[in-house]
Amino acid sequence: MLVAIQVIVLLSIWQAAPAGLIPSPLRIGEALGGLLTSSLLWDNVLVSLLLTLKALLYSVLITLVFSYLSVVPFFRPLAHFIVKCRYLTLTGLIFIFTLLTRDGSQLKLSLLVFGIVPFFTTSFLSVIMQTNAQEFELCQTLGYGRWQSLYEVIVVGKADQVFEVVRQNFAIAWMMITMVEGLSMSEGGVGTLLIKYNKYNDLVHVIALQAVIFGLGLFFDHLLGRLRHWFFPYTKL
Amino acid sequence: MTIYSKGETLLQVKDISLTYDNKCILSDINFSIDDIIRPGIQQGQVVSLIGRSGIGKTQLFRILSGLQKPGKGQILVREGKPWNLRPVHAGDMGVIFQNYYQFGWRTVEQSLKLAAHQNKALAGVESDAILEYAEQFDLSDVLKRYPKQLSGGEQQRVSIIQQLLKGSDFLLLDEPFSGLDVCVLDKVVSLLLKVSLSHEFKTLIIVSHDIATAVAISDTVFILGKKAGQEGSTIVRSLDLMERGLAWQEHVQEEKAFAETIREIKACL
Repeated sequence: MLVAIQVIVLLSIWQAAPAGLIPSPLRIGEALGGLLTSSLLWDNVLVSLLLTLKALLYSVLITLVFSYLSVVPFFRPLAHFIVKCRYLTLTGLIFIFTLLTRDGSQLKLSLLVFGIVPFFTTSFLSVIMQTNAQEFELCQTLGYGRWQSLYEVIVVGKADQVFEVVRQNFAIAWMMITMVEGLSMSEGGVGTLLIKYNKYNDLVHVIALQAVIFGLGLFFDHLLGRLRHWFFPYTKL
Repeated sequence: MTIYSKGETLLQVKDISLTYDNKCILSDINFSIDDIIRPGIQQGQVVSLIGRSGIGKTQLFRILSGLQKPGKGQILVREGKPWNLRPVHAGDMGVIFQNYYQFGWRTVEQSLKLAAHQNKALAGVESDAILEYAEQFDLSDVLKRYPKQLSGGEQQRVSIIQQLLKGSDFLLLDEPFSGLDVCVLDKVVSLLLKVSLSHEFKTLIIVSHDIATAVAISDTVFILGKKAGQEGSTIVRSLDLMERGLAWQEHVQEEKAFAETIREIKACL
């Protein structure tokens, strides 16, 4: 309620402010209405969503493999190297990725995965590091072997945290999607649409589209939170 | 006087010492637990390790359970037929931690199943055994719940059943009486006695600083303390409560010998 009031007050001040280069909320609202009723938006949203989900799936799989392996001392340095890769910028690597991939679709996917995995791995490794020693001790008292203990404590016990890590890092994937879609525009996507509006200096539609991207991000954040509670009921307690 | 005799050694603690950060915590701890034989009864053993806070009880508890290696010495436990003593490994003993730790992501039933699957003797009848124990321990209604949804008493009973289902003869309990109100305390005491009567070799080792309750439930008491001139803690006294006629008595607290024994223990601490 308080947030709603604050938003209304802010929009009113914005609307009342003298018109300049920045469009008024009413104009943006009109553009937003037009966008929401057009198939152009939803076709492009669908393209972006599919690419994001595909990238998330690959990223989660890669993250899990390296994170689970990190409990074995031999693989720990590799997992820590992936964590440090957060400081690599994608811009300088685009040419290399272009050489390594077959088409624009693969290029976008590989860039997204490369950008997401270090963040996923960082978050999930911190979850593993914070594992209560008593969880392993209980396994030991139950007569579990090393691999059985790892399966129970890390794989089963941390499954809900994997979901939380995905939820927290979905924002990174969603933010990157507009960037990578600008690299190969043939397949469309919200990023492509955004660049087109930007190119023609159509600020009204740029902001309207940003609002759609923002709203969808919040929706998926909420959805993933709900799904986590549904799949892992003990997280609600 | 109750008729009893002592049989073979079930557990032997030999020359256990532990040093941590160049500080001697435990020094030359030696004791053994023998099978108690009572005609017509499957009498298990209930042994208490009593000592003041900070004396090293938890370290000794961890060493006994096989979760921590001692600096010196070894713990030997009975193994199969022919009678044989071998070094303890983690998993040999059922361990009930002071906070009754359980996997937060498993329901009570799932946790109990995990334990039952470790017990070859229960192969194929795990679910029946769980239902039987749950009924016996008044937990039938909470089988579908998660640990966070249980009361402290329920968590304790789940921990006990879990370790019983696992099937080890030894049950190690860290401060099982702490933080319990009088009514729950009585229940826990009768529950532990029931467990001790479930099998001839069932051996409960209770680590506690609650002297009165520990003595009331035990047949043997070992006192962990410090000897003059010795840095680490050791067993300063052992009391055979069977000899004193204080074991297996329902209202033992009302006996004069009980009060004298408590005084004697306090004097050793």
